[in-house]
Amino acid sequence: MARLCRFIVVALIVARMTAPAAAQSLQRLTVTQLTLAADTTTPHIETPFHLIVTAHVREHIAELDNVDLPILAELELQGDEHVLIPRNGGTTYRETITVVAHHSGAIKIAPVTLDAVDARSGKALRYFSNSLTLHVRGLAPMAATVDVWGAIGAFFGWLLRLILILAGVAAALFVVAALVRRRPPPAPVVTLAAPTPVVRDSKAMLREALDALARNPSRAGALRARSIVRRMVGATEAETLADVLRRPLAVDPDLRDLLRALERAGFTHDGDLRVAIAAATAQLERMTR
Amino acid sequence: MNDGPAIITRALERTIVGQSGVIEALLLGLLCGGHVLLEGPPGLAKTLACRSLADALHGEFKRIQFTPDLLPSDIVGTRIFDQHESVFTIVRGPVFANVVLADEINRAPAKVQSALLEAMQERQVTIGPQTHPLPDPFIVMATMNPLDSEGTYALPIAQMDRFLLKIDVGYPSRGDELAILERFAIGDAPTIAPVATLDAVRDWRSQAHAVHVDDALKRYIVELVVVTREAQHPAIDHGASPRATLAIANLTRAKALLEGRDYSVPDDVRAVAPLALRHRVGFNFRVGSDGGSARVLDELIASVPVP
Repeated sequence: MARLCRFIVVALIVARMTAPAAAQSLQRLTVTQLTLAADTTTPHIETPFHLIVTAHVREHIAELDNVDLPILAELELQGDEHVLIPRNGGTTYRETITVVAHHSGAIKIAPVTLDAVDARSGKALRYFSNSLTLHVRGLAPMAATVDVWGAIGAFFGWLLRLILILAGVAAALFVVAALVRRRPPPAPVVTLAAPTPVVRDSKAMLREALDALARNPSRAGALRARSIVRRMVGATEAETLADVLRRPLAVDPDLRDLLRALERAGFTHDGDLRVAIAAATAQLERMTR
Repeated sequence: MNDGPAIITRALERTIVGQSGVIEALLLGLLCGGHVLLEGPPGLAKTLACRSLADALHGEFKRIQFTPDLLPSDIVGTRIFDQHESVFTIVRGPVFANVVLADEINRAPAKVQSALLEAMQERQVTIGPQTHPLPDPFIVMATMNPLDSEGTYALPIAQMDRFLLKIDVGYPSRGDELAILERFAIGDAPTIAPVATLDAVRDWRSQAHAVHVDDALKRYIVELVVVTREAQHPAIDHGASPRATLAIANLTRAKALLEGRDYSVPDDVRAVAPLALRHRVGFNFRVGSDGGSARVLDELIASVPVP
């Protein structure tokens, strides 16, 4: 009876694997997940384990067609069941395949595929899951012949591994401690004070700007004077004229005119430079009187 | 008939409420002869602003609604065989206009986007064996909706680079929304009478081209672009191209002209730099949402000393 059931399961899976997808009408789906997993990647010979296929689609469906399993030539199929669960605004498909290995060594299982029409683009697509590599080991400990010497050997092997792990952790801690001890002490935190407007010396600074411009009535002189006046109102190097004009100290209309005149003198074209410098100089003279 | 580009601003402000940044950016694009990309949720007068700009000029306006089934020939035109005359006649597409509104440009597939973007770059269109120059001025204003990405084809960075500037259109303030309610509650927005000729636009463009940009400002512009490449910011995958440098320089000149100056100042550069950089810098997922890219860009711009 068991042999008959196994034959029916294998026949069903083989039939699904060989059915031409093109001959079927594909479902219109938004596939968000398709994975292949096993409940252990190191199964023992003759011990059944499970391969689990999980797919999630955004649609609410009663059945998921066109899921193709890879050929599991090196494993014996013992059962296959699947369930669809409404979840996360869609449907999760979970298929559990019970298999058993008869030989030790590595087994590579190819990806599961799902054929569907992508609901977003309307194109027929083939989705692939990840592949899986299993390492089949010898007989399970419970099934293996256990002798006393073997048990003692296994115990000492376990003990040796434990000692090596502890030694590794101790070495890592030692290295970290040594590094921490050698690291230079953190630099003292220096809080840079915001540029303080020099209110008291504004007249002197304006005179300094006027001198700079009078000594060198050129673009360079204008930029020097502009720099002095900007410093006077506490402007930083990241501020443009618009930023400076928003500063509380820049509410004075004369000062605003001066800042604009110096901006013009600093950046205008050569044809306007002489007039611009004259205007800035006149404004400075007015304010230093 | 006109007294400078500000006349367009005044005309647009009669129909567009609370989007002064958008109006200015559209004008900057017009003065530079560059193309403009507007991104914002629906209902923020993006289309109306483009339409109003076209109305304010004595120019031809065409609107193309981009859809997934659009073909390149729907944009540039095609040749049709005239059976009576036994010759092929050329039917020009909507791209032959002074102001072209490409509505929801990201809804059409890449082939159609490429057709438009090539026309934007070359300012000419080849239909069959013949090449046809596009009218001058020729400005494309493309809109994108960031909220609804289903069934859209994102513009690649290389194609985004073709746009001189990108405007992020935001929601109006409460006061502006109240003004919209009072002004447009009944009926459609008023139409604008033309206030400037195409010759005037060409003249303004020449004036903008002649605006002086000092060497110190040129170095500042270069630093603003280079900082996007060299800052090693975790939210940036790649910085802006040298095309961004040229774009900022051109926009700076146009901004100075709009302000009534024939020389530019650092404020002009600072004002236009985000417009030219925001679509040319490749931000990654670390930038976050809610204006994260704008914040990162502002930080980078602020990190460069002003001359």
